[in-house]
Amino acid sequence: MASVYIPVQNSEEEVRVVLDQLPRDASDIIDILKAEQASLDLWLIIAREYFKQGKVEQFRQILEEGSSPDIDEYYADVRYERIAILNALGAYYCYRGKIETIQSKREEHFIQATKYYNKASRIDMHEPSNWIGKGQLLLAKGELEQASSAFRIVLDGDRDNVPALLGQACVEFNRGHYSESLSLYRRVLQIFPDCPGPVRLGIGQCQYKMGHFERARKAFDRVLQLDPENVEALVALAVLDLQTNEASRTRKGMEKMRQAFEIYPYCPMALNYLANHFFFTGQHYVVEQLTETALAVTNHGPTKSHSYYNLARSYHSKGDYAAALRYYNQSVKEIKDKASDFVFPYFGLGQVQLKLGDINGAMSNFEKVLEVYPDNCDTLKVLGHVYAQLNETEKAQEVLKKATKIDPHDAQAFLDLGELLIMSDTATALDAFKTARSLLKKSDQEVLVEVLNNIGVIHFEREELEVALEAFKEALGNGVWLRFLDVKSKTTAADAGASILQYKDVQLFNRLEADGVEVELPWNKVTPLFNLARLLEQLHNTGTAGIFYRLILFKYPGYIDAYLRLAAIAKSRNNLQLSIELVNEALKLNNKCPNALSMLGELELKNDDWVKAKETLRAASEATDGMKDSYATLALGNWNYFAALRNEKRNPKLESTHLEKAHQLYTKVLLQHKSNIYAANGAGIVLAEKGNFDVAKDLFTQVQEGASGSSFVQMPDVWINLAHVYFAQGNNALAIKMYQNCLRNYYHNTDCQIFLYLARTYYEAEEWQDCKKTLLRAIHLAPSNYTLRFDAGVAMQKFSASTLQKEKREANEVRSAIVELENAVRVFSQLSAGANLQIHGFDEKKINTHVDYCKHLLEAAKVHLEVAEREEQQKLQKEEAERQMSLAEKARRKAEEQRKFQLEKRKKEDENKRARQQDEDFERVKEQWKSSTSSASKRKDRLDIIDDDEAGGHSGRRRKKGGGKRRKKDKSSKFSQYEEMEEGEAEMDGHEGDDGHGSYYREEKDPAPQDLLAAAGLEDSDAEDEEAAAAAIAARRRRALSESEEDEPVEEEGKQQQAGSPESGEMQVSDGEGAAASQQHHHQDNDVDAGLDDED
Amino acid sequence: MKLAGIKSVEGAHDESVWAATWVPATSSRPALLLTGSLDETVKLWKSDDLNLAGTNTGHCLGVVSVAAHPSGIIAASASLDSFVRVFDVNTNATIATLEAPPSEVWQMQFHPKGTKLAVAGGGSASIKVWDTSTWKLTSTLTIPRPEVPKPSDKNTSKKFVLSVAWSPDGRTIACGSMDGTISVFDVAREKFMHHLEGHSMPVRSLVYSPVDPRVLFSASDDAHIHMYDAEGKSLVSSMSGHASWVLSVDASPDGNAIATGSSDRTVRLWDLKMRAALQTMSNHTDQVWAVTFCPPGGTGVRGGRLASVCDDKSISLYDYS
Repeated sequence: MASVYIPVQNSEEEVRVVLDQLPRDASDIIDILKAEQASLDLWLIIAREYFKQGKVEQFRQILEEGSSPDIDEYYADVRYERIAILNALGAYYCYRGKIETIQSKREEHFIQATKYYNKASRIDMHEPSNWIGKGQLLLAKGELEQASSAFRIVLDGDRDNVPALLGQACVEFNRGHYSESLSLYRRVLQIFPDCPGPVRLGIGQCQYKMGHFERARKAFDRVLQLDPENVEALVALAVLDLQTNEASRTRKGMEKMRQAFEIYPYCPMALNYLANHFFFTGQHYVVEQLTETALAVTNHGPTKSHSYYNLARSYHSKGDYAAALRYYNQSVKEIKDKASDFVFPYFGLGQVQLKLGDINGAMSNFEKVLEVYPDNCDTLKVLGHVYAQLNETEKAQEVLKKATKIDPHDAQAFLDLGELLIMSDTATALDAFKTARSLLKKSDQEVLVEVLNNIGVIHFEREELEVALEAFKEALGNGVWLRFLDVKSKTTAADAGASILQYKDVQLFNRLEADGVEVELPWNKVTPLFNLARLLEQLHNTGTAGIFYRLILFKYPGYIDAYLRLAAIAKSRNNLQLSIELVNEALKLNNKCPNALSMLGELELKNDDWVKAKETLRAASEATDGMKDSYATLALGNWNYFAALRNEKRNPKLESTHLEKAHQLYTKVLLQHKSNIYAANGAGIVLAEKGNFDVAKDLFTQVQEGASGSSFVQMPDVWINLAHVYFAQGNNALAIKMYQNCLRNYYHNTDCQIFLYLARTYYEAEEWQDCKKTLLRAIHLAPSNYTLRFDAGVAMQKFSASTLQKEKREANEVRSAIVELENAVRVFSQLSAGANLQIHGFDEKKINTHVDYCKHLLEAAKVHLEVAEREEQQKLQKEEAERQMSLAEKARRKAEEQRKFQLEKRKKEDENKRARQQDEDFERVKEQWKSSTSSASKRKDRLDIIDDDEAGGHSGRRRKKGGGKRRKKDKSSKFSQYEEMEEGEAEMDGHEGDDGHGSYYREEKDPAPQDLLAAAGLEDSDAEDEEAAAAAIAARRRRALSESEEDEPVEEEGKQQQAGSPESGEMQVSDGEGAAASQQHHHQDNDVDAGLDDED
Repeated sequence: MKLAGIKSVEGAHDESVWAATWVPATSSRPALLLTGSLDETVKLWKSDDLNLAGTNTGHCLGVVSVAAHPSGIIAASASLDSFVRVFDVNTNATIATLEAPPSEVWQMQFHPKGTKLAVAGGGSASIKVWDTSTWKLTSTLTIPRPEVPKPSDKNTSKKFVLSVAWSPDGRTIACGSMDGTISVFDVAREKFMHHLEGHSMPVRSLVYSPVDPRVLFSASDDAHIHMYDAEGKSLVSSMSGHASWVLSVDASPDGNAIATGSSDRTVRLWDLKMRAALQTMSNHTDQVWAVTFCPPGGTGVRGGRLASVCDDKSISLYDYS
């Protein structure tokens, strides 16, 4: 039993003080010490003993007494002991300061400590222990530089001063100079091999920091050998164990943590780790207790930050986002916003902010995380999501692409990327989705319906319909729909098609249910089923599509889009009544649904219900909330445009008002959506209407380019409009080509209206036969359109008239003209007969005028024909005569030549043979000559015939020229009567043209009133050709138009006008709406995935 | 069931080919294909090589329909000028020229026994029935007009009659109109029976099933083919698949299939059991105006034959098996 002996003053006796039996009241001891004037080292020993026994108060009491001024005075020359006492006190306060959590008290303690150290240094400023104490104090206060210089002072005096070395090691450690620190610790160990455990702790920590985990472990183990209850070593070892991430080691580590906690329940490190552990085991209450304790016992920033983080995480997982946000913020604050120290709270903070809707905050926090861990996939993904929400698509793409590159097996990243790109870059999106799909399949995970749906939608958009079909089928999986899709089992479903018209008929499904078939449609399959139905529509399998829409409605009666699609199908089959009924059904569900209202308006327009249509479209426009949806506005623009041209009385004022209004509305849409090609098209039409053809042409060309980019946008109108412009500018060839292309590419050559435009262009180009053929085709397509017959009659009449007026014509031409005239007469007569039956709206008188005119022409033509035939006959006779003459002439000439030739020949022969057999030879030659002449003359004959033909051709032509003048005179006399009449009309027309030339002229030049012009132009062509001979083209046109206005069946025009451009509207409803629907579905899917993201 | 192309003739006519039918075989010759075109000619073709057997002229404006007498001896062709020319198939001698002004002429069909010729009368909203021995007009079957005409109906062209078909027993005639309605008449009593509803766009072609006199097929511009119970007035089935107007429909002689021609440039074969398109022929490059199955009988033609004619001036022949 250790004890000290206090010598009794002035005697040999000593007072024995048993150290572990020190009195509770230190003043007893102090009295003794004072009374016996015990040496100061005894004071120190006893005080230290108190300290060791945890009796800190007594310790302080003795030392304070020991450093009181009396003692100073008394022991003035005992320097070392006095310094030691002061140092002990300083160290004591320094320690108090270190463990104090309240800042003000902490300061106080440090001030106290400083005071004592200063006092000590006043006794001897070279005392090393004093410097060491000061160094420790500075270290505790975090003033590393000054602490270091304090320790250096000591070390300069004594290289091997252990406490100074330790202090310096500590400084180096805190500076992050771990290897320096380590070498200092090692020095200590060399100098003082029996040093206490904490030195090895330092070594272990240095090794740990330097990443030498095994050496660190050894050091900590050694510490524990020396001091089995060393908490730091236990915690350090536990951390090492936990970091291995092996289950058994983790368990061991947690065991050590628990031990440490039991030994010393206030070690923040242990508390944090335990909290961390219990967080993962889900014991949130324990977590909170542990972290709160940890927070209470430490002031160390990073540790506190960790604690707050644990706390925040606990709240986060419990769903208390407000609390979590608070603690994450605390945690971040504790590490002074240095993300590199401890990055987790930033991630948590970002997540919570995302949840609470602070997207910008979340973004900056995730970005901080990314700075520290630039390759962290989770961060990249969540940032991608955040960027996408902030519409920073490019950034989002960048991070998501990086994420997919870093981890090419992360299906989620590919999904996110795909969803991001689906609106902008479908090809890449598709690849991403496909990769995700195969990744999910590879890992035997279920591929989400949404993914397959999106794949299908992209294929659909890219017109890869078969692939899209497969994707949708895969998305849908097994279900009742297979019965309708599979051709083989169609027998049961086949009858369903028949009831397509009774859209409300659910018998089909009831019957299936009665047959024991489950008619189920899970909520997440509705979208793919809807899309599949859309696809089937595209594949023209409207029957099955209709069944699917009805199935959706059977299960989800509130699915408006299904009603609208059913309505669109009915509309495309021209069943307007049913279509309107269906739209009304949709409106019952939501009477503000803009799509339904727009469609209703369109249907009413088609039903010729103008006023109603306008109201409905207005309502639709209002329902779209501040005109964000331009469709209704556009439709109103169209309405105004049609109204401008429809006006039966053609009031110029009203017309321009309507046009102006249409223009305003189109411009409005264009201002909102710069790239709205429908609005641009409308604006182009109005411009063309006003005669600005060049600008209109530019616009149309741009629209055409825009429309060609997407397979979902089909805009035949713009082709027609462009063709109209070319036509108006006189470029007939190009106009014809464009009309033909448009017909073939967009209408399967079935639109008789465009055929009419085409015919009109041929007419203008004076291609009569093409014009006629085109009109016949149109009649074949639209048999009940009598206007076309009338036009065909006019074309034939015009053809004949122009043939007969030609200067040169052959009898054949005249004959064909007569045939056409007869046809024209028949066509007009039939129309005339039909007029009684009111099967068309023509004025009988007018038709009869045509009949009479044609008959008259026919008579005239017959005379012409006689003349022509007579001439032809004469010509033939003359030719024959000439031929005979020339034949004879040539025969003579040939004979002559032949004779000459023979003569020469004979001469030669004579010369040769004269001498010998003159007489005999002569006879033989004579024979020869005879036979050769006969064959030669035959040959000649043939030649002559050829020559004759040529000659005849020439002479014939020449003669015709001569005859032309004569005939012209004939004509003028015969036709004079008619021409007078025509002139009369022309004058009248001229007047009219002058009166209202403003409107008429515009009208005339105007290509865009799509049908009107062509129709009118053709119809009044009769007027034209009556005047044709005299009038100049422009004047003719003007007159023609003005006349057309008077006596053409205006109703027809009205009809035709409607027919042309509403297509654009219709296209948009059906397709635009479909696209809208699919877009909507993308959005849906996005939301689902966003929900998933946050759980990360 | 399937179609296999045998032969196509490009440029068979100078212009669009609009009409086709088979002239049944006679004792002296096999069946011939009869085609009519916008080029104002009617041509006869020998199967299977589609050799031109004759060209008839004499029509003005385009030839819109052709019909063959079941005997195979006579045939009729009609053009846009509303004349019907009845001629001897072998000699091309004109037997009669029919007109019934102001009624136009669209589709025509001979009575299954050949005693009558029914002609769709266009805007007259009627079918004209001609006696084939006297070539006199025997009756006019008129579609009754709605009692109270709607003010919006500014003309009556909605009941414009385009297509016509005899039932196989010859007792009823069905006709299709521009407005999509199909009207059924009792021929003997010259009486309108009822409408068949379902189409809202022109019905350009009608055909009865050769095996079931109740079943009627219709082809319409709404891209659908309907199958009706013509007596029970009910729509049995609606078949979709064509991308544009269905211009022509014909039933196979065995009654198991129908073929259709469409503006979408295809010929389709439909299985009546499955009521689905079995096959799509895409050899034409423009509207397919007519499809026609060769009637059974005669020599020289083995198996079933289907012919199609097209706006692209071509005609095609397929083997149907």
